Amino acid sequence: MKTKQLVITALALTVAFTSCNKDNPEPEQPATPSASAYDNGVFITNEGPFGSGTGTISFYSRSNGALTNDIFEAKNSYPLGNVVQSMSVHNGKGYIVVNNAGKVEVVDAGTFASGGVISGLNSPRYFLGIDNNKGYISEWGLSGAGSVKVVDLNSKTVTATIATGKGAEGMVKVGNKVYVACSGGFENDSVVTVIDATTNTVLSSIDVGPNPKSIQVDANGKVWVLCSGQWNMSYTMLEQPGSLVCINTTSDVIELTLSFASMYSQPFNLVTNSAKTTLYYTYDGKVYSHAQSATALSTAAVINRNFYAVGVDPTNDYFYCTDAGNFSSNGKVLRYNATGMVVDSFTVGIIPGGLCFK
Amino acid sequence: MNVLKTSLFAFFVIVAFAAYAQVHDSASAGEIRELQVVEVSETRLTAFSSGNKNETLDSASLKRYSNSNLADLLAAESQVFIKSYGLGSSATTSFRGAGASHTAVLWNGFNIQGPMLSQLDLSLVPVNFLDDIKLQYGGAGALWGSGAVGGTIHINNKALFNKGVQASCNVAFGSFADRQQQLNVSISEKRWISSLKLFRHNAKNDFPFINTAQYGKPEQQQSNAELEQYGLLQENYFLIGKRQKINTRFWYQFNDRNIPPSMTQNTSNANQKDELYRITSEWQHSGQEIELLARMAYFDEYIYFIDDATTENSKSRSKAIIGEAEARFSVLKFDRVNVGINATYNDAKTADYSRKVNQNRTALFANYKIQTAENRFNAVISVRQEVVDGKAIPFTTSIGVEAELFKGFKLKANAARHYRLPSFNDLYWAGVGAKGNPDLKPESGWSEELSIVYKYNYKNLECEFAATGFNRNIDNWIIWLPETSNIWSPKNVQEVWSRGLEYKAAVTYKQGNFKVQLSGLYNYVLSTNEKSIVPNDVTVHKQLIYVPVENAQGSLSVYYKGTSLTYTQQYIGYRYTTSDNKYYLEPYTLGNVHLAQMITLNKLRLKAYAQFNNIWKETYQVIAYRAMPLFNYQFGICIYFR
Repeated sequence: MKTKQLVITALALTVAFTSCNKDNPEPEQPATPSASAYDNGVFITNEGPFGSGTGTISFYSRSNGALTNDIFEAKNSYPLGNVVQSMSVHNGKGYIVVNNAGKVEVVDAGTFASGGVISGLNSPRYFLGIDNNKGYISEWGLSGAGSVKVVDLNSKTVTATIATGKGAEGMVKVGNKVYVACSGGFENDSVVTVIDATTNTVLSSIDVGPNPKSIQVDANGKVWVLCSGQWNMSYTMLEQPGSLVCINTTSDVIELTLSFASMYSQPFNLVTNSAKTTLYYTYDGKVYSHAQSATALSTAAVINRNFYAVGVDPTNDYFYCTDAGNFSSNGKVLRYNATGMVVDSFTVGIIPGGLCFK
Repeated sequence: MNVLKTSLFAFFVIVAFAAYAQVHDSASAGEIRELQVVEVSETRLTAFSSGNKNETLDSASLKRYSNSNLADLLAAESQVFIKSYGLGSSATTSFRGAGASHTAVLWNGFNIQGPMLSQLDLSLVPVNFLDDIKLQYGGAGALWGSGAVGGTIHINNKALFNKGVQASCNVAFGSFADRQQQLNVSISEKRWISSLKLFRHNAKNDFPFINTAQYGKPEQQQSNAELEQYGLLQENYFLIGKRQKINTRFWYQFNDRNIPPSMTQNTSNANQKDELYRITSEWQHSGQEIELLARMAYFDEYIYFIDDATTENSKSRSKAIIGEAEARFSVLKFDRVNVGINATYNDAKTADYSRKVNQNRTALFANYKIQTAENRFNAVISVRQEVVDGKAIPFTTSIGVEAELFKGFKLKANAARHYRLPSFNDLYWAGVGAKGNPDLKPESGWSEELSIVYKYNYKNLECEFAATGFNRNIDNWIIWLPETSNIWSPKNVQEVWSRGLEYKAAVTYKQGNFKVQLSGLYNYVLSTNEKSIVPNDVTVHKQLIYVPVENAQGSLSVYYKGTSLTYTQQYIGYRYTTSDNKYYLEPYTLGNVHLAQMITLNKLRLKAYAQFNNIWKETYQVIAYRAMPLFNYQFGICIYFR
């Protein structure tokens, strides 16, 4: 029977199609690192896909120009977790801040072998080493209560909480004082909280401008804060533009406030050169510089391109600039020399948002 | 609160028994004949669609999943891929490689996608509230308007007159402290029907899983996944004279869910409460010359989301008022014309929009069907013009043909334009780091498909084979991207091309009280981004994330007298998790067993059943780092009074 054959052929076809597996993706095999592969180079923290994915860390070696992606999972066989915010190296240990997972993974900065976890944090942002036994972690906190957590580096436990302004973000240490930029977190704030690093108490709160996020120290020991401005209710334009603010760290008063012109673009990513005499920041789709002695914002850009994050290599003043692409696939790091000429570029993980120079 | 709920249930149980105790005489044969004059008007799906692949979930599968939700039912028993965030968590569909908002969900013809997100969480729809589920594959913009892009889910209620008083109650319990109670009561007279369905469901969902995303891969228990929900569906149907019919429906539901953390997130304190009211009414007049239909709906939904990690404390309320009228008549002997108008008003209020927003849509539509005797050949042309807030959006049309070339062998073809309007979130969002774009264009494009269906009966054997090839383009696909100011905003970015093949084969053997059903299906779908407004976009020619290229399913059911045993197995292939296709999730295979036994004691019928899920204890993830349960079960008893 013709019809019978048709039925049989159809069924056979179905079975054949069901049983074969085409289009299996080729897995990307991460390279196995040597004993202490990460001595001379740059760690790039990749936030990871928005939502429920995991962040990763890439390493660029200055010695041989090699790039290794996802070095944490390759060494430790588990992923870092959701939203890798930043990494700092302190006393030979790497402190990787994982924002949404509420933890800081501690690794050996040379081998990247896991050395414990600091947990019980709420939206942690940055780690700052204070001394051999103590570290500070800034966090946005539960229900918007910004704070700095004091961590015993030996036991890896939180020993105290210092209340700051909302959305505690970037931190710098000058002498015995720690300056914390309070970015507002999910809301708005305008202060830099000053903490006595010996007693872990708040010394003062300096009103700098709308939503300060990044903070640096210059060669004269002055603190520079980049306020990112404040949007109006409907997020159509800035109600208050961003500003660059200089704080005298002896008196803790503001010496200089420079407001940005744009009501649509926010300044971000304040970094310094190796000598700490020049500051750099991203603004209006470009990278600008600001000499520590300058009293006005410069109008000429150093690099004419928009980046997600920028870092300056303290060994050679190269810019490491990240391009997060479409924010759902692997991003790029572009290297520029000190004069802003492009050197090379390489592909890293998803949403490269932080640079840690070792 | 609990006392109130319990006493409410007790009250309804008493009412049900009281109603049951009354003696009802059945209608005489003459009356039944008279009643048949009033014909139930078909929906546009059955009356005016042609050439689309359709899938009707059989009543047996609806019964098997009667104390489950629509997402679980579709995941296990239909051909669509369900993107689930885990047990008791939200779930959406992907039809033929499209997105969640590319699936229109129609409840008795009304779109219930909601204006804010333009997508429906299928895990919140209780199967017990539904009498009929049909899946229409492919674009059908001219029939259903915005959102009918990848496919359309039709969930319907039906009632039969002259059935007397019927009541049933269903009590089930399962793994992870899952408890469910249902009560259905209906009084069906010769001129009216009134029915009430109630349910209550709560679960801890604290299933154990291996957390591969933590140091040492520890076994953990899912946390913050508790769920409580209850609701009612009240329906009334009236016959007026010989030709008119009116119905009213009221759907109330409350859901209180904690939102569990992902495996990479450690803890979560997030909670979401939803409350919804859906009220509809429909009038049908079946004249000899003309058939008239008018329907109205009022939907009111609240969402209250709290997350103390992000200080998010968002309350939102959205409303929809929908009015639709249709007139159907024949010009020639073999044709049928339908003209209609749809007016939809939506509004939404939330702290995340800078103001209360609303939208007025008016659509004129018409369908023309020709059909030969015995329906060996039919063809439909449909058109629709919609005006949104005074602006005309592209004219939409579709054409479909079905022809039975020889006995049992049918050829179907359809080409349709489709569109999706941007959601309110896309247009009006104004929250931290993100803002909507009021200048977004609707996504739109064409879809085409060709199917062969072959049905063959031989003695006690029934065979069915179907194969479909489809093609679909969606232009102006909306994606959220950060602007240079680091504020995320949606744009019309991509052009997505989807194409694929779908096969289905089923064999049924029947002899007396014995029946065996064997079915299998296989889908192969490519859905890629072909063009992008972003320069050097690495995602061009790459598969969309969370769209499996392959999926397959098989099921075997055995029925003997009152006993039934069903085994279903599904395979979901690789899914990419990043848009450059560098990261992916492993395929998984799930096996489920359902066992039911019917017992009849005089007027009382009783069904005892057991459902076993993931019997092969597969560790899998549907979405990256969202834990899924291993083996789990559900036991229940359903008692029918008549």
